[in-house]
Amino acid sequence: MSGLELIDVSKSYGATRVLDGVSLSIAPREFIAFLGPSGSGKSTLLRIIAGLETLDSGEVHLGGQRIDGLAPGARGIAMVFQHYALYPHMTVRENMAFGLINAKVPKDEIASRIAQAADILEIGSQLDKKPGQMSGGQRQRVAIGRAIVKQPRLFLLDEPLSNLDAALRSRTRVELAQLRNRVDAALIMVTHDQAEAMTLADRIVVMNDRRIQQVGTPAEVYARPANAFVARFVGSPAMAMLAGRVISGESGRLRVRLAGGAELQTAVAAAGIAADAPVEVGLRPEHVTLAPPGSGGIAATVELVERLGDRTFIYTRLAEGSEVIACAPGFSEVRPGDEVLLAIDAAAAHVFSADGTAHHPEASA
Amino acid sequence: MSETAPSSQRLSPLVTVLLLIGAGIMLMPMLWTLLLSFKSNAALMADSGSAFMPPWTLENYAAIFQGSLTTRWLINSLIVSTGSTIGVLVLSSLAGYGFARLDFPFRRTLFVIVLLGLAVPEQAVILPRHQLFAMLGLHNSYPGLILPSLTGAFGVFFMTQYFRAIPPELDEAALLDGASRLTLFWKVLLPLTWPAQATLGVFTFLGSWNDYWWPLISATTSDYFTLTVGLASAQMNYAQTSGLGFLMAQAVFASIPILVVYIAFQKQIVRAMAGTAVR
Ligand SMILES: Nc1ncnc2c1ncn2[C@@H]1O[C@H](COP(=O)(O)OP(=O)(O)OP(=O)(O)O)[C@@H](O)[C@H]1O
Ligand SMILES: [Mg+2]
Repeated sequence: MSGLELIDVSKSYGATRVLDGVSLSIAPREFIAFLGPSGSGKSTLLRIIAGLETLDSGEVHLGGQRIDGLAPGARGIAMVFQHYALYPHMTVRENMAFGLINAKVPKDEIASRIAQAADILEIGSQLDKKPGQMSGGQRQRVAIGRAIVKQPRLFLLDEPLSNLDAALRSRTRVELAQLRNRVDAALIMVTHDQAEAMTLADRIVVMNDRRIQQVGTPAEVYARPANAFVARFVGSPAMAMLAGRVISGESGRLRVRLAGGAELQTAVAAAGIAADAPVEVGLRPEHVTLAPPGSGGIAATVELVERLGDRTFIYTRLAEGSEVIACAPGFSEVRPGDEVLLAIDAAAAHVFSADGTAHHPEASA
Repeated sequence: MSETAPSSQRLSPLVTVLLLIGAGIMLMPMLWTLLLSFKSNAALMADSGSAFMPPWTLENYAAIFQGSLTTRWLINSLIVSTGSTIGVLVLSSLAGYGFARLDFPFRRTLFVIVLLGLAVPEQAVILPRHQLFAMLGLHNSYPGLILPSLTGAFGVFFMTQYFRAIPPELDEAALLDGASRLTLFWKVLLPLTWPAQATLGVFTFLGSWNDYWWPLISATTSDYFTLTVGLASAQMNYAQTSGLGFLMAQAVFASIPILVVYIAFQKQIVRAMAGTAVR
């Protein structure tokens, strides 16, 4: 059986194009995260899949069946809304039963499904309460419960954690991970929190500017970003981008002169990149460290120090204006205003052409 | 507004005294009416001051049930007010849902026309309406008394605003739960509008109950008088001196239903008067 298939889906609101030729294939039990900045069309795509929004062109298939013409209730899809959208006048039990009654599921079957879901979500004692009498976290569980009892082929969750406080958030995150093991369905979660996407998803769909920028496992998206946007968007703190020019290929690897004058010998294959082409060099914080004074590092001024306990992120600015974030182990004593030298692990640097195309370092031979 | 202070707040003694005086002044005519209704017409004709002294009697109330048309008028009023209320609630809910949630051609234009209806005073349409109803033979009938109130624009406007305030996510959740439009309306949205229904219902009922002008024009035979028209006609027929006790008994009797409505819907009425959001 096949999972969800999106073929060339496009959508405009009036003259504004929101989705432009989106194609995507999801396996039956996969956990997918839609990740992207605000306004990138994540919710719109989710709503098109659910049938709450019409598409202008393209096709949606689920389980081998074309569903884009079906009513939302007939698609075998359940959705958990950002603000839960529980029916305020119904008890928790009635909330969960509503969809099943509409689907004409027999009474005792409804009762047993609700009991089972309540058990999983530990809301058995709350079944006769109204949503208004519950906390945000409990409502969230009810919303998930209402989705589970329908035994859908696909769960859609629009920013399921964004309304919860930090403690509840990480707990619910664990529960979502457990949920995916319990249900025989695919899950799509919309988020603009990359940590959430990284932890939970089998694959991440990075969206921006009406299009899917990259689809890949969290490791792929992090280590081999498809373009400059993904490189900058994924990873925290973000990858630093330094403008430079290609000066020569040495043993087939790019050598780049940065705007500040320093030269970097990267591990990126030189093939296909013209000499003197303007490029950007992408450096993740973990590939930039503080060099001992007197060594041949690049001079920079410390602007902000973020001490996390086990490591310290040092936000610095180069003389020519670019921002570079360095990472030091443990508790670094540098202070804002300090002049430091940066040691760059050039072999780990990514290189981006002017059009945003990514070139990744190759493992050294 | 400051006059709607929470009831838990203690009032200063001065304010309490002033309020008591105000309430006393408001209550006086009603208590006077009640008192007079228990005296025989003859006794009152001699001296209305005798109201404070026994003997008191129920003969005026007995007279209402024997032969007078008051019970008939009361029933008319009940039928007309209840009919208007139900009609307004049904129409306003359906129209409000439509304007708030459905997409159909000329929706905006139609809504503007509804809003314009709010600006048209009854005085401006009462003559053509009278002619129209005469042509259709609707005068001296219940439909003739009920129909005009169903054209009121306020209910439609009020319910539209209320439906608009319900998050559309609820509709979407229901659609994903496989609900038909009817199920969505009936089982999800309508129950949520209960506070609005209560407020609109009470006001429609009271408005219709107290309406005088249209029933005066439309009902010309006393069989179709509503209480307001009937009581007024009685005041003209009985010289106020000869039938004072009976007149007062009629007034007391006529206000019982309205009293029941006020007591039953106190909360909605106070909220609506105070202009606070009803939720
Ligand atoms: N009903 C609508 N009418 C017009 N434009 C809309 C409508 N819904 C969304 N848009 C536009 O479509 C674009 C994508 O919106 P969408 O809600 O899908 O973004 P998103 O990625 O979910 O953003 P967020 O992270 O803020 O939720 C936005 O530019 C938004 O302004
Ligand atoms: Mg969104």
